[in-house]
Amino acid sequence: MTQMETQPHIDSSRIAEITRGLDRSEIEGREKVFSVTDLAVSYSGKVALQDVSLDVHRNTITAFIGPSGCGKSTFIRCFNRMNDLIPGAEVEGRVLYHGDDLYARDVDPVEIRRRIGMVFQKPNPFPKSIYDNIAFGPRVLGIKGSMDDRVEQALRQAALWDEVKSRLKDNALGLSGGQQQRLCIARALAVEPDVILMDEPASALDPISTTRIEDLMHDLKRDYTIVIVTHNMQQAARVADMTAFFSVLVDEEGAARRGVLVEYDATTKIFTTPSDKRTEDYVTGRFG
Amino acid sequence: MRVELQAELDALEAGFQEAGEIVLRSIRGVIDALRTQDVELCDEVIAFDDEIDARYLALEKQVEMTLARQTPVASDLRLVLAILHSALHLERVGDQCVTIAKLTKLSSHLDTKRTVVESLVDMGERCAEMVKVSLSAFAARDVQAARGLHQLDELVDNANRQVFHEVLGYVHDAEALEWGMRQITVARCFERIGDNAVDIGEQTAFIVTGEFAEFTDASHDPRPLV
Repeated sequence: MTQMETQPHIDSSRIAEITRGLDRSEIEGREKVFSVTDLAVSYSGKVALQDVSLDVHRNTITAFIGPSGCGKSTFIRCFNRMNDLIPGAEVEGRVLYHGDDLYARDVDPVEIRRRIGMVFQKPNPFPKSIYDNIAFGPRVLGIKGSMDDRVEQALRQAALWDEVKSRLKDNALGLSGGQQQRLCIARALAVEPDVILMDEPASALDPISTTRIEDLMHDLKRDYTIVIVTHNMQQAARVADMTAFFSVLVDEEGAARRGVLVEYDATTKIFTTPSDKRTEDYVTGRFG
Repeated sequence: MRVELQAELDALEAGFQEAGEIVLRSIRGVIDALRTQDVELCDEVIAFDDEIDARYLALEKQVEMTLARQTPVASDLRLVLAILHSALHLERVGDQCVTIAKLTKLSSHLDTKRTVVESLVDMGERCAEMVKVSLSAFAARDVQAARGLHQLDELVDNANRQVFHEVLGYVHDAEALEWGMRQITVARCFERIGDNAVDIGEQTAFIVTGEFAEFTDASHDPRPLV
């Protein structure tokens, strides 16, 4: 091995980001993809989440962290109107997507979900071939062009191509858990989304598969905006540019519990010098 | 509550304070050696440095372990980093004591000048006080006390300048000049100990505020070094 080959490759354009993390002003200088104001979500009249206002910026990874029941999964589902599918769910407040009201009457939720893809905690490939899993979305949407090229590109973007290129006709359920999750990411990418929402994308995966998903997220943010919900605080610290910490507010009787946004800032700030004591207690493990 | 992390942080901090006590013993030893021009005591101070180095290495290892196993964040991370930095400052104070002890031995065959020795002992005592304050401010997370170290350091810096000017007066006496030049280095060592105490104070402010800032900027200080 020559000396040149032993030198680690560092992308010079990312040196500042790698060595000190992006600061808030740099992130906020980027285009707003989502702008949320006074959001509240309730299920059958019971408030699950309230008073949430924040912006999500283009080509960044934004993480939502917090204890169980804080509303972080409820919140991420507001970004592609997944809560519409839950009977009794009601969303108040405003969610703007590139300046347009996501909840306006004339907005088609199906079109929303094409542009704002989602990857879930448990990999959920269709019981079909690897190829068909990717091709399904573009076919349904009538997207033109070579399907083979589209499938290959999506699998390459999801860092899965080399592992599956010789067995595209095999059933997707024969893939490992980590591969299935990357297949689901490829499936989301195949319909050319703008945003990828990830709800605990690595919580069911082993550490090596988790690392691959995290590396993939870093690669994907060049072209996409990523929002992730994670229980794993170190994962948020490793991948996210911005982190929002949600907490649970319990009423005086201890009966009603609702999620609130406590702090939203650059990830480096949240994990080094958080402004709110509740955030400090949570990230240092002194919560509860 | 992360019980194990808290236990490791408590152990680290206790180890750091113990290292501080050991270093203070070394400073007091070297002040006595200087006052009495005791060569045997100088040898003891020199030998004692192995204990200081061992304490430093143990703390460094402990920090490495805590970072690897517990991945502390926020105020916990700042505490661990501050202990690592401050332990190195303490280790350097130990090294300065060794240099003072060696210089005292080297000049033991020469006549001493009482006024200079008294100035040096006075400097040493101020330095011991500064290290003590830096340790107690660290333990109490007392930023005000930590900032106060800067004022104490100015007194040490002034004393350093006085020793220099006193020795300038020996220029026509070769033997006195040889002795005096070694004492200038002793004064410089004490001056560095004062700086190390201020550096530990800065780490205390870092733990509390989350911002690292030098209390003074020596590179832009208009005053002469000596």
